[in-house]
Amino acid sequence: MIKASLRGLLQRKLRLALAVIAIVLSVGFLSGSIVLGDTLNARFAGLFSTINENVAVQVTAKDPDAAEPARLSQADLDRLSRVDGVAQASGDVSAEGVIPFRTDTGKAVTAQVGLAAGVDSRGDTLGLVELREGAWPARADEVVLSANTAKLAKAQRGTQLKVFVPQLGEARTYTVSGIAGFAGGRDSLAGETLVMFELKHAQELFYGTTGVYASASFGAASGVSQDELKKRIERELPSGFKAQTGKEATEEASNALGDSFGIFTIILSAFAGVAAFVGIFLIYNTFNIIVAQRSRELALLRAMGASWGQVIRAVLLEALVVGGFGATLGLGFGIAVGVGAEALLSNMLGVDLPSGGVVVSMWAVLWSYVVGLIVTMIAAFIPAVKASMVPPIAAMRETVRPDKSLLGLSITGGAFLVPGAGLVALALTGIGSATTLVLAGGVVLVFLGVALLSPLLAKPVVRLLGWLLGRGQAGKLGVRNALRNPRRTAVTAAALMIGVTLITTAATVAQSFKSSIEDIVGQNTGVDIMILGPNTGPPNGEIGFNPAALDEVKKLPGVTDTAAWHITIEAAIAGTPAFISAADVPTAKRMWQMQEVGGQLRTLGAQEMVVDDNMAEASRWKAGDQVTVGIGQTSKKYTIVGIYKRTPTLQGPILGLPAVDDFAGKLAYQGFVSLDDGADVAGTVAKVEDIMSDYPGVTVGDMSSFARQQSQAFDVLVNAITILLGVALLIALLGIINTLLLSIVERTRELGLVRAVGLSRGGVVRMVGVESVLISVFGCLLGVTLGVGLGAAFVKALIDLDFMSKFALPWANLAVYVGAALVFGVVAALWPARRAAKLNVLEAIAYE
Amino acid sequence: MTLTAPVITRTAAAARAADVWKVYGSGEAQVVALRDVSVELERGRFTAIMGPSGSGKSTLMHCLAGLDAVTRGDVFVGDTKVTGLSDAGLTKLRREKVGFIFQQFNLLPTLTAEENILLPLAIAGRKPDRAWFQTVIDTVGLGDRLGHRPSQLSGGQQQRVACARALVSRPEVIFADEPTGNLDSRAGNEILTFLRRSVIEYGQTIVMVTHDANAASYADRVVFLADGRIVSSLDDPTADTVLDMLKAAAG
Ligand SMILES: Nc1ncnc2c1ncn2[C@@H]1O[C@H](COP(=O)(O)OP(=O)(O)OP(=O)(O)O)[C@@H](O)[C@H]1O
Ligand SMILES: [Mg+2]
Repeated sequence: MIKASLRGLLQRKLRLALAVIAIVLSVGFLSGSIVLGDTLNARFAGLFSTINENVAVQVTAKDPDAAEPARLSQADLDRLSRVDGVAQASGDVSAEGVIPFRTDTGKAVTAQVGLAAGVDSRGDTLGLVELREGAWPARADEVVLSANTAKLAKAQRGTQLKVFVPQLGEARTYTVSGIAGFAGGRDSLAGETLVMFELKHAQELFYGTTGVYASASFGAASGVSQDELKKRIERELPSGFKAQTGKEATEEASNALGDSFGIFTIILSAFAGVAAFVGIFLIYNTFNIIVAQRSRELALLRAMGASWGQVIRAVLLEALVVGGFGATLGLGFGIAVGVGAEALLSNMLGVDLPSGGVVVSMWAVLWSYVVGLIVTMIAAFIPAVKASMVPPIAAMRETVRPDKSLLGLSITGGAFLVPGAGLVALALTGIGSATTLVLAGGVVLVFLGVALLSPLLAKPVVRLLGWLLGRGQAGKLGVRNALRNPRRTAVTAAALMIGVTLITTAATVAQSFKSSIEDIVGQNTGVDIMILGPNTGPPNGEIGFNPAALDEVKKLPGVTDTAAWHITIEAAIAGTPAFISAADVPTAKRMWQMQEVGGQLRTLGAQEMVVDDNMAEASRWKAGDQVTVGIGQTSKKYTIVGIYKRTPTLQGPILGLPAVDDFAGKLAYQGFVSLDDGADVAGTVAKVEDIMSDYPGVTVGDMSSFARQQSQAFDVLVNAITILLGVALLIALLGIINTLLLSIVERTRELGLVRAVGLSRGGVVRMVGVESVLISVFGCLLGVTLGVGLGAAFVKALIDLDFMSKFALPWANLAVYVGAALVFGVVAALWPARRAAKLNVLEAIAYE
Repeated sequence: MTLTAPVITRTAAAARAADVWKVYGSGEAQVVALRDVSVELERGRFTAIMGPSGSGKSTLMHCLAGLDAVTRGDVFVGDTKVTGLSDAGLTKLRREKVGFIFQQFNLLPTLTAEENILLPLAIAGRKPDRAWFQTVIDTVGLGDRLGHRPSQLSGGQQQRVACARALVSRPEVIFADEPTGNLDSRAGNEILTFLRRSVIEYGQTIVMVTHDANAASYADRVVFLADGRIVSSLDDPTADTVLDMLKAAAG
């Protein structure tokens, strides 16, 4: 019995191949994403163990983010280096956001991270950084560059190099005294730039005084363990400091990195999740059709006396074998995908990470088999149960199953859709808190609900589409074929729907953002030119430009007004995280035409603020109230002195300029410039750009170029999402091919018949093509509709949060998607249609 | 693709096989299904092909209809030389010159009875002649069943739809391979009566393969096959003369 079943399986090579391909592809991309994430994580963890290779103990401030973090004095360092068992000691003077300019173009070097350190004539005593040529910096105007930095900035020993120092708020010129590399002959640790200053100069630059260090690292004498040295050093520790072994420091650093790496991991797992989700549809549909096609065979077995259980067991065994085989191959494929993607990614980012083996975690294996094996078995089980429930003779005689009612299915669909939509709504009202899971769960439920409802929709929609597309008799036959099994058409289309929905959602949100921006630009404010800070990190005062630069801008001909805008996101108002600005309110009032709603819009002193009317209303604040404002580590009571009318351009709390003292740095993040009527806008932009060229990543533009730039950024985002979801679309394409091929096998006799009564080969191709296009366009329409719906929900939530001001449909994108679905359908039909057309008429008619 | 121009030959036959050989497989597994068969099927007549199982009846019919290629020899349908036709030529032949009735699975399950009947015309892009369609429907007696799907029709009704479909395009020849093989004698007799009537009243040419002496008695002529050869033929057969002939062949 079981043997008979397995033999039957092997004889159907095409069906077997399709099932295995479906599993391999779905499992492959799922496990590939997991392997990629794990491998990258391991690479970065490896990076820190390299950095801390010779470090036995590290001494750092307990609270490095404090407004006035504790510093180690030279005396502290000297005392600690004399602790018994310390072989080497190295005080750490370092900063981030220090960016060199290229010597050839004069533009700032674009690297992910711009590091800086202070070194004395001994260099790095712990042996991580090695001088390759020249000498360590001996004077305040000398620097040593890492080889990667020299390469990026096109600098050599002896060149004059401009370096932006955020603590100075400006760039300075240094002479390159030498080039250094890292242990092991590497040019950088992970693609970063590193500029090393003379120690005393660095201390002055970064900490405002000489003779202090932020932290220190110690090497152990031979025979002294890390733990032992840590104990000895702890006895000598100044207050406000803690000691860690090198191992602990490595762990902490890679954990912290893991957190900042989190967004990437989230994107990867979301991507893996979508691939798996679409893959589930594909596997389910393929196996479901395969078993359903064999229901006559199963009925024959039943007629010959096989029990219900025997039939089910045989089918499940088959699924187990195919699923296990597919999942194993898929895992192998996934590992290959992960390794390839890792190599590609490190190459693209120019990151030169320590090499190491590929990491295949338990999760990758587990998920591969859950998706590959369990989904396959469920997909086989359901039609097998159905087949074994009909009386054997009925199943054998049955050529077409009569239309079954879709009522039960649709009710189940509704039961998924409604709570799903509810969860999405719930998640969107509370954006920002930990609602990602609720949102994802809601979206998955909505998908399942629509997928279950889609057979009901398939009939009218396909009929309508068929009326448009199914010209000629061949076309009409194709339409009938698409309609004959609405469940099959719908499940196949649903796989495509998922990818299209997500892409459409992104496009809708992006389009709404774009048109909100256009609204802002269209508004007639007094601002003509905008200066925007770099997007290398969140604004906190450490990135941007020195507001003093605006004094120069103000001297330009035609310029009437300038305003510097300090922004930080490291802030909270009355306990909730907030985005806070600091500016000169009267200037802002003049330039942005702010309207006073309550209190007074006047120059703000320390601990004074203005808020917009929306916010005041929501929190029931009025002029004169006191509110707690936290900035960085500080927390102070501010008095609301004025309330202004919110506009799409201007909203949120604005503090006075004295508050900037509490920001992490004194750089302004945005700047606004007003011009005389008739002033030369383009010419002025060029001049402002010139003034701002000292500040890395700062861009200047008039209002319309600003809008264009933002639009382009959103287009890039939508394209990136589309490319990422390409895999989901690929799996869906395979799904359509599978369904068509299996349907063709099932309809072999009919194909013979239509050929016998005169349908040409071309007619057969058209027939299959129309069916394919109908499935894919139906899936696309479902996706577009659902995507626009989800997009509208997101946009509404974002409008409520004042992130944007209006909803807009991305018509052009939608048209492209539907057009692409047409092409997609044609492509999916190529192979199946060829196969169908090549069938020998006589053999097809005689086919059992 | 090579397009062979149909060779025009003057003949009274609706279909003709000349020195046809059909060999399946090669070497050890070789089966000679037809050995040097020559036969003419006269226009406007009803010919039955009989013979023991495996004697080559279906093969002969398939070769005559252009559904299968012959190994040697020539086949003509009307004026068209079938041997050597390209796929496009064969498609054209099927559209214009031949009709089929198979033993079972004759209909597309997605189409109604009426749509199935009109399918060959629709495929060929030809307008149905409404009067002729009505005549055919009346002949096979399906008037009230036209809107039904095949799954809602009995086997006999399905075969009647298949007959109507073959008749409606007025082909040169209708080929029927055991059209009554799956039916009881009453339903079978109904089908045979339609076929007979279409020959007498409308001058349709029909070739039918059958095992049943009674079915063969509806034909104008019976051709007997044995082991891939035509062994004899009988004009104006009755069930008894056919049975005698079969007995003689078996003995
Ligand atoms: N595709 C094929 N490959 C190999 N041999 C075949 C093929 N089709 C038919 N044959 C052989 O050719 C011979 C004639 O077959 P055919 O189907 O014409 O017989 P038949 O007279 O129609 O028999 P029946 O009454 O059983 O339908 C048989 O020996 C058969 O085994
Ligand atoms: Mg036969």
